[in-house]
Amino acid sequence: MFCEKAIELIRELHRMTDGQLPAFNEDGLRQVLQEMEALYEQNQADVNEAKTVGRADLIPSIKLRHSCLLRNQRCIVAYLYDRLLRIRALRWEYGSVLPANVRFHMSAEEVQWFGQYKKSLASFMRSIGGEEGLDITQDMKPPKSLYIQVRCLKDHGEFEIDDGTVILLKKNSQVRTGCFLAVSFLMLQ
Amino acid sequence: METPSYFPVPPGVGMEENFLSLDDILLSQERLPVRTECVFPRLGFLEKSSDSQDIPEGTKMEIPLWLSKGLYERKRKVLTVELPKVYKEGWRTVFSADPNVVDLHKMGPYYYGLGSQMLHFDSPENPDIAKTLLQTFIGRFRRTMDSSQNAYNEDTSALVGRLDCLEKVLFRSGQNGLNGFQSWEKGQASQLTASSLVLNYRKRKLIDVQA
Amino acid sequence: MSDALSEDGSDINQDDSQEDVMTPAELIAKLEEAWLNEKFSPELLENKSEVVECVMEQLTHMEANLQRVKKGDAKAGFHRMEIDRIRFVLSSYLRSRLQKIEKFFPHVLEREKSRVDGQQSLLSPEEFAFAKEYYANTETYLKTVALKRMPPNLQTVDMLKAVPEPCLDSFVFLRVKERQENILIEPESDEQRDFVVDLEEGSQHLMRYRTIAPLVSSGAVQLI
Repeated sequence: MFCEKAIELIRELHRMTDGQLPAFNEDGLRQVLQEMEALYEQNQADVNEAKTVGRADLIPSIKLRHSCLLRNQRCIVAYLYDRLLRIRALRWEYGSVLPANVRFHMSAEEVQWFGQYKKSLASFMRSIGGEEGLDITQDMKPPKSLYIQVRCLKDHGEFEIDDGTVILLKKNSQVRTGCFLAVSFLMLQ
Repeated sequence: METPSYFPVPPGVGMEENFLSLDDILLSQERLPVRTECVFPRLGFLEKSSDSQDIPEGTKMEIPLWLSKGLYERKRKVLTVELPKVYKEGWRTVFSADPNVVDLHKMGPYYYGLGSQMLHFDSPENPDIAKTLLQTFIGRFRRTMDSSQNAYNEDTSALVGRLDCLEKVLFRSGQNGLNGFQSWEKGQASQLTASSLVLNYRKRKLIDVQA
Repeated sequence: MSDALSEDGSDINQDDSQEDVMTPAELIAKLEEAWLNEKFSPELLENKSEVVECVMEQLTHMEANLQRVKKGDAKAGFHRMEIDRIRFVLSSYLRSRLQKIEKFFPHVLEREKSRVDGQQSLLSPEEFAFAKEYYANTETYLKTVALKRMPPNLQTVDMLKAVPEPCLDSFVFLRVKERQENILIEPESDEQRDFVVDLEEGSQHLMRYRTIAPLVSSGAVQLI
């Protein structure tokens, strides 16, 4: 059957479900393009014959080959596009400089696409708000104050912790507090 | 864990296919039994069982869904698409008796996806197929959801092994929710961890070195 | 000292002369509202550039004030935390938007093209520039690597058809901020008929996004 090479490309990518990037399959791509060329030429010949000699019976086969051409086109575009999505993820996971073993799996054109993506993202971030802009690739997780268990050495009375609630610090009582800066403040006293 | 920055094109909903979705491309590779309603000249080599130059009219063969969709026309029929047996009346009766006993991975694994796609081909049985798909999904959903929400740190492979692709995705998202909640409860949610993508690349680098 | 840090929203002494000025607390509430809506809606919502700009200004201001607080002052920790939290929400908001712009880029740009004068733009000028570059970059890439090596009748792909549109039939959780009457609910199955509901203020619902999309943009409901 036609389009077997094309589905191989898709399977290869789909097997890596966690977003990893397999090596660019230049050879596979070339083979699919070759099959497309052959299908197209055969169809051109049959179309001419159908027109000139009136062989309308060739039409079903022309249609079949055309479906295969469209299928090959879809598989290739989907293969390339999905790879771009994976490459885009690399920018967010690794930052703007990729390790050599990752870059090694990209084609020259993919490296170029990545370069342009980096540039677009950078100028977007620079343009946010005022002067310096905002690096939105930082702060991926909400800031967390670490809870710390403290034992009070002396009576301190009421103390406001970072969420605004007031806790009572009595000598020898144990409390969980939300902010180590608050603790260091008390330790200084 | 999934990489949070890689967002693949999702499969289409219902009868739709998404052009760029890898899942939909794999789904449309599923083979369907068809019968040719005309001669396909000069394509005899696609039909391995005969050595004639053409595919003759009336040939029964299996072709992928994408090709069936490409060739199918209501007015000028070049082929008839037959129902795979899992959508035929015999199996529909089994599903309506107890959808939970069926191994949808073995019978599918794209039971719902392919079933919805079958509705593209005009068949008098379409309303019944659609109804069975929906009822089967509803009938099995409760169990899929219950176990995805309650099986924490348990071996779920026996159950998951019998799920259709769509159910598997739902099961996983339920499990992710459960695991996320558990680690939040234990106060591990804020622990810093390296991205799984980065970790996997490190592993692979090691394998490359060893090879 | 407390005056220098008044922008944490707890002690606001805005001058009464400017009535339409938002207090910092109101501003942050606006940001959080936009953030949650953007995070949970399947489609890209209208941009809130003014809010983003004001929050950026606010952050700069707070950073500057924090520099003046003497080391060891317990309040510094709280304010540092407050700044970090605001910056996280703002970054996360802008990230969600950028993600959707990338995900739906042909549709987002198409919508921008067909926009009539006076209609609010979905994209901020910066986002618009980003979307255009993303489109051109991706299109050029696909052309160079594959499409122009294909037979003549297969050298183009309609990106509007190839890239899926947002699924407006997704279900979303929401909280009602302003009471609504006669919201039409479409049937979920053939046996059902459509019916209308009233949404009471403060009540929470799980509904099809398409049904309440206008209420999200008007601010009558909040996605949660």
